[in-house]
Amino acid sequence: MSGATRLEIRGLRKSYGNTRALDGLDLDLIPGEVLGIAGPNGAGKSTLIRILGGEERQDSGEMHGDGRPFAFADAARLVAVVHQEPQLFPNLTVAENLLVGREGGHVLRPRTPRSDRALMEALGLGPYAARPLGTCTLAVQQRTEIARALARDARVFLFDEPNSALTDEESDELFREIHKLAKAGNIVILVTHRLTDLVEHTARVVVVRDGRIAAELSGAALTEEAIAQELVLAEHRGVPDAARSGRDARADADLLRVAGWTHRGGAFADVSLRVARGEILALMGVEGSGARELLRSLGGVDPARGDIAVADATGAAAIGKLTAYVPATRQLSLYTNLTVGENLLVRLGRPDIADATGTLRPRRMKALADDAVKRFLVKTRTLTQGIRSLSGGNQQKVAIAQALAFRPRLLLLEEPTRGVDIGARREIYRLLAEFAADGNAVVMYCTEVPEMFEAADRVIVVSDGRLSAPLSVAEHPHVEALATEVTRLERHGRAA
Amino acid sequence: MSAHDKTAPAPTRAARFSAAGRATFDLTLRLGGLAVAIVLVGLMFQSLNDAFLNTDVIISVLRSMSSVAIMGLGLTLVIVIGEIDLSVGAMYGLAANALAVIWIQGGVPVYLAIPLVLLLAVLVGLFNGVLTTALRIPSFIVTLGSYNLLYGLSLYVTHASTFNPNYPPEGYTVDDGQLAFFIALTKQFGAHQFSVEVFWMLGLVLVVGFLLHRTLFGFRLVAIGGNPVAAQLARLPVRRYKIVAFILSAVIASIAGVLDFSFIQTSQPDLGLSQTFPVFAAVIIGGASLAGGKGTAIGTLGGALLLAELQIGLALLSPGPHAQQIFLGAVTIGAVALDLGLTRLRARRNA
Repeated sequence: MSGATRLEIRGLRKSYGNTRALDGLDLDLIPGEVLGIAGPNGAGKSTLIRILGGEERQDSGEMHGDGRPFAFADAARLVAVVHQEPQLFPNLTVAENLLVGREGGHVLRPRTPRSDRALMEALGLGPYAARPLGTCTLAVQQRTEIARALARDARVFLFDEPNSALTDEESDELFREIHKLAKAGNIVILVTHRLTDLVEHTARVVVVRDGRIAAELSGAALTEEAIAQELVLAEHRGVPDAARSGRDARADADLLRVAGWTHRGGAFADVSLRVARGEILALMGVEGSGARELLRSLGGVDPARGDIAVADATGAAAIGKLTAYVPATRQLSLYTNLTVGENLLVRLGRPDIADATGTLRPRRMKALADDAVKRFLVKTRTLTQGIRSLSGGNQQKVAIAQALAFRPRLLLLEEPTRGVDIGARREIYRLLAEFAADGNAVVMYCTEVPEMFEAADRVIVVSDGRLSAPLSVAEHPHVEALATEVTRLERHGRAA
Repeated sequence: MSAHDKTAPAPTRAARFSAAGRATFDLTLRLGGLAVAIVLVGLMFQSLNDAFLNTDVIISVLRSMSSVAIMGLGLTLVIVIGEIDLSVGAMYGLAANALAVIWIQGGVPVYLAIPLVLLLAVLVGLFNGVLTTALRIPSFIVTLGSYNLLYGLSLYVTHASTFNPNYPPEGYTVDDGQLAFFIALTKQFGAHQFSVEVFWMLGLVLVVGFLLHRTLFGFRLVAIGGNPVAAQLARLPVRRYKIVAFILSAVIASIAGVLDFSFIQTSQPDLGLSQTFPVFAAVIIGGASLAGGKGTAIGTLGGALLLAELQIGLALLSPGPHAQQIFLGAVTIGAVALDLGLTRLRARRNA
């Protein structure tokens, strides 16, 4: 395949169990152009990258280059993925990293060919050739990945969040290389959360949503606002016209009070936060903004210091006894070696599921699990089947029910409906509303505005570890209005 | 699956919490397979040698399996929580040797010496557990180290010599009452010389089985082994449970050491070292997974029984010691290969 071949992707589909990651995606890749791909978490972006990079096979759909099918084996050779965390050999030197996989059939240890030296010089890797890769900076490691790809004549370069951990200078350097690659007639794809980079460095941006290309922006239409709007409007079809209206707006007694709250890892500092009884608060923020860390610190998972009070308790006792945290991925909350019933009860102890001697109480466990299954509408045939036999939405319900079984006063959720279908999503929102209505509170970390619009009372945007003034969801007539406001706060916060 | 989702909104009335479901079915299949293997191997030996299936042989199989089975029970707890304890065999040896030194040489009454040995085991378990959890050294490394440390300790305290309470070294005496008590721990009785050690084994199966399958401790042990990260995020006491598992493993191994010393009545510094891998084999054949989260007391007992059966059956056929080793290897790999094969087959059917 020559450098000037257009790649056409048609009807790409891929499912994991009951989750449809790609749902008939069509995309044209044009040589010489830098294409940007954006999309919310769980929209199918990473699946697309893995399939393009030959790390995974699609269920159906085709890729054509020059009208000829683009085979799976070609992908591995022609497509180079430059990862956020370079996937190379840290124990080998930069020069050796270039050689791995193309050593040829020699018996002796292969030597670095002259062409590799030239390549390394061109990429500014010359001084590092003999250094173990693991001791080099991330920028050098990424350039080594690019060099590796060039050395094997790759034609498609896929950059996956390449500059998320680079300094501004290193980042500029990287984009110069990216444009050079495009100018040489390669297909260059940039996947990133950074809207500024998409606008500045790409000619065309596609937004992946629900496993399809939901929007394509280029020319004058390619602005940060436009991309942001498209990103946060995921699953718009299912969003009701009205925001959640469960709680009246008067300030009730606080359930959670946090002051001088500082993350040990530096993700946020001196944060103050109040959440009222009956309230559902959404924290919004891009990766690295500190929003996720803030949520996790309230659940005692990320270390933080400062004053915290939940209901009548304070400090570690408040976190340990009255909060429950549900991670974003179900793999981090469910136990595949346990049954559905056992998964529901796994956070409990004495006296709920065991007597004073520590002996389990099977009858009570069954009653509790039965009750949880009914209350949370978990669709399962028995309590004793494996957790993996449930659909994704029902697994997520089990994950939340497991945390609620602990009877927290403050429930902490990370992306509570990621990868969950609309029906299950509705039920999860209803469960959260019921839980809050009992005088408890919910704080959730969200990345999608429709979720906040539908489930939350207030939204706080976190950027660079700072909290925005809270937005009242009820004051926004429709989801687009909230999206505009959230986007504005997000940009404003980062500019500050 | 999605079809069920729509048609079965409410759970059916399962008779008990742990009544027959998929997970229980898998377990039954595994234990059933083990039972079938034990019977088949027995019949095979009987057909080769019609002296195999008689009371004396069966009793000697039961006796000779007991130390491996007991150590296996402790190891099962560690493996279920997702860790490894390579030091059980060395702990078994140290328990016997330390008891010999404290009692026979040190003159401490055996009634006090045995609790002291168990206390020593608690310290060893604490050592393994704390290094694994607090310093995050992989338990394979920690216990490989303590295997050697404990053997070194056995050599040191015994000055590399052997002990027999019936023939104490010159200048030392052993009280007759204490000796009688010690020997009675594994007393043989009846026409077929049935040893009390078998009851110790069965008793410990009940205790560990209850602990693993009927207590909060066991429930959490299985959960932590199945998904340690989730357990951490759910604030289950992961570290504490791991430390307790290592302590129980060491204590149970030292019980086996004391009992075997009582039965054999001779201690040697390298006692138990060669048992290390048979104990692992018994636990693995019994259905435990080195990945954690899976394992039963009754399975480990079955694994030990199968191994002892093979060992004694082959010894009676006397083709030489090589055959026992070769069978030990083949059965260990074969059992796991069969298990994985069946699991994949069922997964494909259910997909």
